[in-house]
Amino acid sequence: MTGVAGSAPLLTRAPAGRKRGGVFAAVRAEWIKLRTVSGPGWLLLACAVVTITVSSAVVAVEKCSSASCAVDATKVSLTGVQVGQAAVAILGVMVIGGEYATGMVRVTLAAVPRRPVMLAAKAAAVAVVTAAAGIIAVLGSLLAGRIFLPGNGFTAAHGFAALSLGNGPTLRAAAGSVLYLVLVALFSLGVAAAVRDTATAIAIVLGLMYVVRAVSSLVLDPAWQHRVDRVAPMNAGLAIQSATNLSKLPIGPWAGLGVLAAWAAAALLTGWLLLQLRDA
Amino acid sequence: MIGEVTPVRGNRMAGRDGFAQLLRAEWTKFWTVRGWVVTLALAAVLTAGIALALGNAGNSGGLPTVATGPGGIAVNDNFFFVHRSLAGDGSITVRVTSLTDGAVPGQGEGSIAPQPWAKAGIILKDGTRAGSAYAAVMATPGHGVRMQYDFTHDTAGLAGAVSASSPRWLRLVRSGDAVTGYDSADGSHWSVIGSATLAGLPSTAAAGLFVASPQAYQSSNGYVPTRAMARFDDLSLRGGWSPGTWGLCEVGAPQSGVGPACAPVSSREIPLPSPSESGGTFTVYGSGDISPYVPIVDILGGIIKAGSLAGLVVLIALSGVFVSSEYRRGMICMTFAASPRRGRVILAKAIVVGGVAFAAGLVGAAVALAIAGPKLRSHGWTPPIYPVVSLGTGTGLRIVAGTAVMLALAAVFTVAVAVMLRRSVGAITVGIALFVGPWLVAAAVGQSAGAFLLRVTPFAATAVQQGVQHYPQSSAVCLASHGCYPLAPWDGVGVLAIWTVAALAASWYVVRRRDA
Repeated sequence: MTGVAGSAPLLTRAPAGRKRGGVFAAVRAEWIKLRTVSGPGWLLLACAVVTITVSSAVVAVEKCSSASCAVDATKVSLTGVQVGQAAVAILGVMVIGGEYATGMVRVTLAAVPRRPVMLAAKAAAVAVVTAAAGIIAVLGSLLAGRIFLPGNGFTAAHGFAALSLGNGPTLRAAAGSVLYLVLVALFSLGVAAAVRDTATAIAIVLGLMYVVRAVSSLVLDPAWQHRVDRVAPMNAGLAIQSATNLSKLPIGPWAGLGVLAAWAAAALLTGWLLLQLRDA
Repeated sequence: MIGEVTPVRGNRMAGRDGFAQLLRAEWTKFWTVRGWVVTLALAAVLTAGIALALGNAGNSGGLPTVATGPGGIAVNDNFFFVHRSLAGDGSITVRVTSLTDGAVPGQGEGSIAPQPWAKAGIILKDGTRAGSAYAAVMATPGHGVRMQYDFTHDTAGLAGAVSASSPRWLRLVRSGDAVTGYDSADGSHWSVIGSATLAGLPSTAAAGLFVASPQAYQSSNGYVPTRAMARFDDLSLRGGWSPGTWGLCEVGAPQSGVGPACAPVSSREIPLPSPSESGGTFTVYGSGDISPYVPIVDILGGIIKAGSLAGLVVLIALSGVFVSSEYRRGMICMTFAASPRRGRVILAKAIVVGGVAFAAGLVGAAVALAIAGPKLRSHGWTPPIYPVVSLGTGTGLRIVAGTAVMLALAAVFTVAVAVMLRRSVGAITVGIALFVGPWLVAAAVGQSAGAFLLRVTPFAATAVQQGVQHYPQSSAVCLASHGCYPLAPWDGVGVLAIWTVAALAASWYVVRRRDA
């Protein structure tokens, strides 16, 4: 009896708390959770470091010996994003999957009972921190390209200007790569919300991105390869990194990023629906 | 009190503390979780299923017409031949003084360096039909003097390129079915390079000088034909040579197909000036190659690889969860209490996970090969270019067994990483990124950097799945995007084995030093 009586004030106080903060308070709570454990910080650092390291290694070895080398200097400089995205995928998965692993999710849902608000708050927090790390990763990668590429034959004589954000296509590739990383994190968040298990979620996310990408390059039928390149999240999403030869792409830069956004939206929607329908 | 109890427990446990019990415990942990067994089956189904789906690939372009060499293998046999017939035993000796003037279509002599595998030398051949048996000694710009016979055999002689200041004397001696090749840097000191037995060589063979220059690979144009020019002098013949003039012939000319036609060809993509002779010096131009034919696309290896990559992700996830679930539930404390020697626990887990991954890979790859092989042949991927690879052939067994070993090693690698990280997500990501990441990055960077990645990362293990035989003397470029790997099949698995052993050692070190 005393227990029931004791819990009554909590129930009545819950709406009051929501009124006080609402969505903003939920986002703030997620921000505190992200900030006060070491995992997310390390993952974001790993994303930036891995991206810049891989990009630097690639631009350090990439050579252009004549004016006819058909290399997209911007895209090559951003190669590291393909590896660095694994870190933000983990972040997206852990933000909600980690809560299921520890049971923390029950506390979260007790504090923010409205499922869409909870999911939106997590998405907002993850998107902001991923964008911050992504900006550092992308700018660092382009800087590496700007420093190394001219020494490897990517000179004005061979038709290459130094990489600069003042160049429209390069700016699009840079901003698009940051958005790409954000969308990968959101996609991972949605998948993890749907399956509630970190291991399953990361395997699904990396399987759909890396393995579909690797397998599609082994598909010999050009028509099928074209189809896969237009709908697979990583294949289509990375179209945003192209600065030259856009007509040869299976899908346009922004359309490709839109495909990834659709994947992320579908994953978040599925996660939200399942959250809504089932018990935590 | 404690002193009395401990010996009793110790004695009772002594008989059960074997490694077999530990292995049995880990095995029980695995097979009693239904989800894990289902996941394992999923890995096998994906490995076979993806390969089968891709096995429907039609061969829209058709296959090129190629000559068939001894043993029924597809070969390139296209070269310029200055020949006479040699009845019975005899020998030919010549000095090569230059091999230069590489050229590609539309550009003049010397426009590119001669191909490393351009060939100028002497050859003794069963007639002038493309694909017939032969033995030859030749100078090459990039690989020194070689003796080659019947396309697949290649032995090195004197090193270094040939030039006027550093000429090469070459000699072929026929004695019955045996042909022996010699080389010399001064014309007086000779050394044997090798000897070939050409079974069924008729008593009268065609023999003489030859020049060939294989296709070059240009990243913008793909393969383009090339030409080279060689100078010979100091020619001496012994034995039953036919009298009269030299026959001039382009063996296996692209225009005349692979038939026996043998005449100088005038119109061609790259012009071939007629050979000339003045004062005992022969100037001969040639194009083409004498080598095993290596197709660009490795269709069978490619689809098995695609299937096994899908299975690999599932197995990596399974291995990561198998370890991390113990850490999450605290079960690991009980495991280490039951078996305090932690290295053995890791080993037992590795054996169980490696064993089941091996089984899944074996079943998946065997089903894929057994069904996809005939399917591909019915779609036009046919011998001799794509020899029959089935479970009954050495290549087929190597692909199936190699795929199973690769998946087993990858699973064990993930177990070791998961033990170190104690988290499944990190282990699964490391596993997948290390296996698939190099392939993606290799496709994005240049040839040499890509080849380096495919040599040193765990992805190197997929070399064991190559369904196309590569030869060191083939001038075909080895591009990852064509399904070619810089390592020999089992060497690639060796690279992965090194990664796995290193990860196991690191996990053993870590788990001994820390608390659970």
